[in-house]
Amino acid sequence: MASASAGRPGKASPAAGALRILRSTSVRLALGYAGLFIASSLLLGGLLWWLTAGYLDREIEAVILSDTRAVSDSLRDFGLAGAVDTVRERIGRYGDQNAIYLLTGPTLAPVAGNLDGWPVQAGRAAGWYQADMVRGGTVHATRLLHIALPGGFHLLVGRDVQELIELRAVILEALAIAAAAALLLGILGAFLVRRAAQRRVEAINRTAAAIVQGDLAQRLPTRESADEFDQLADTVNRMLEQIEQLVEGVRNVSNAIAHDLRTPLAEVRVRLEEVLRNRPPQEATFEAIDETLQEIDRVMAMFNALLRLAEIDSGVRRSGFRPVDLASVVEEVVELYGPTAEAGQITLAVEDEPGLMVQGDPFLLAQALGNLLDNAVKFSPLGGRVLLSLARRADDRILVTVADQGPGIPDCEKERVAERFFRGDASRGTAGFGLGLSVVASVARLHGGSLVLADAAPGLVASLALPAAPPAG
Amino acid sequence: MKILLVEDNERVAQFVRKGLGEAGHTVDHAGNGRDGLFLASSEPYDAMILDRMLPGGIDGLAIIEALRRTGNRTPILILSALDDVDERIRGLRAGGDDYLTKPFAFGELAARLDALLRRAQPAQATTALAVDDLRMDLLARKVTRAGRSIHLQPREFKLLEFLMRHAGQVVTRTMLLENVWDYHFDPQTNVIDVHISKLRQKIDGESERPLLRTVRGSGYMLSADG
Repeated sequence: MASASAGRPGKASPAAGALRILRSTSVRLALGYAGLFIASSLLLGGLLWWLTAGYLDREIEAVILSDTRAVSDSLRDFGLAGAVDTVRERIGRYGDQNAIYLLTGPTLAPVAGNLDGWPVQAGRAAGWYQADMVRGGTVHATRLLHIALPGGFHLLVGRDVQELIELRAVILEALAIAAAAALLLGILGAFLVRRAAQRRVEAINRTAAAIVQGDLAQRLPTRESADEFDQLADTVNRMLEQIEQLVEGVRNVSNAIAHDLRTPLAEVRVRLEEVLRNRPPQEATFEAIDETLQEIDRVMAMFNALLRLAEIDSGVRRSGFRPVDLASVVEEVVELYGPTAEAGQITLAVEDEPGLMVQGDPFLLAQALGNLLDNAVKFSPLGGRVLLSLARRADDRILVTVADQGPGIPDCEKERVAERFFRGDASRGTAGFGLGLSVVASVARLHGGSLVLADAAPGLVASLALPAAPPAG
Repeated sequence: MKILLVEDNERVAQFVRKGLGEAGHTVDHAGNGRDGLFLASSEPYDAMILDRMLPGGIDGLAIIEALRRTGNRTPILILSALDDVDERIRGLRAGGDDYLTKPFAFGELAARLDALLRRAQPAQATTALAVDDLRMDLLARKVTRAGRSIHLQPREFKLLEFLMRHAGQVVTRTMLLENVWDYHFDPQTNVIDVHISKLRQKIDGESERPLLRTVRGSGYMLSADG
């Protein structure tokens, strides 16, 4: 056993474990979230840096450049005296200690400016320099530009950037804190995102597990938000509804089979056993056998009806749907039942409306309508009237209605008549085994419609409400 | 007539053999698909009754397909416990001529077999049918009994035509429903009986020689010696 478990993933290397965690959708979602959050934070920080510290740097360089240009222009236009004047004028204009000017001769001996000598950090070559200078007793960082002027002169222009550097440090610190916060928030956010996603998935998982255990009444939790999870939960819930109904149907059928098919079989058995024990005269024996055969035929008919119901409910017949003209279905069924109605002196009236089309199975529709008509004729009083009508309702449903003048169905039974093997009080003593309206209801369902029962006082109004076929085109 | 029965259930086979034997047919029986296919392809038969599900790797449908591929046109009646429209269609598509669901009443089987045997005979283009003094003109769509004209509704005409074409044979309610109405379901009540009695009223009426009689437990028969 030990060797068998050694190869299991639970004992595999940490890398494999990490890989497995990475495969979790919620973890990947969270990591993606954190990465995106941190990346965007860094981008924002960089932009902030460029706009603040970088901006100040560029400003100072621009001022220095303009200063050097002014001095070199003066030198060119007015000679050394002009250049010295400009330097002095600039020093005077700024007056503060922040501006540095130094004009020197070829040997770097000062000609004009506010520096006593050429600073060592500023080399002999022209270019930008960073130098620390002691000014007013403290060390100051300065930014210097050294340019060579015609005539062997050298110009050094600079600005004290000590404050700028301090400011930059403050900004950097702030950015660092922000980055740390972003990282923290990113990780926290990722954790929350993962937990939220995982919670929803776990809720679904738990419910699904309960359903697997057999509790079909469970439904997935949904929230007001109507987000993707809710939509998924809604769909799954609708599916569960359907499954529960089907399972309930199967349970009803099994119960019905257990009861309603065993009863006639028990009767058959008793009858045959009686014959075997009593050994009645031949004539009586044959009669008993004949009766039993009829009973068995009834059981077979029940089986056929049940199988047919199962077939209708499975929905496979939908593949054979085609446009059906209801008027022709009505006509055929009325023709089939006409003589039966006549025999009971029942008037069969038809209120037709031509051109009403549904997408469906003509045989099933005929059977459903036949069953309704069969009931109507069966329960009609002698000399009664059965009205069969076709009409299109405002909501694009087509109503196929059979109205009779029989006893009707009491409200308390209306709900149940479509159940398999249900027989109402009125049907006691009549032929049939309580599957007729089940078939009608199933056929209606298959066609996306419903069976509606109403009172005509007296009588029953049974309607098949079917969705009208979309216009051909 | 010589009939081949391929059926693995011994009791059902014996029952069918005995019944068909009493009706004057010679019956060969095979208990599995292999023997069935061998007999079917080596002997000439007037009709075959094949069980849909058979042991031995070759089922009823396979036999039918094999026979039809070799051009064998013997009428075939399929027996099956599978009562499903799809199954029925599959059986007929494979080349079966009729389909009967188990369990069945012997009368139903015999009636359907007779219909198949009749159909297999060279169909002459008939324009008139006659049973005793009942005559049907298929072109003018007129029916007379002993010279007296009988007025029939279109469906009654079709019903009588079917009965006359199968005169002397038992015709079951299911056969009528399938062939005259083209419905493949059980109407709950005896609608067919009512149609028949209405038709009987019209053709037999007060006649001393009724032609259309009820065969108890099976169906109806139209014959001169009614």
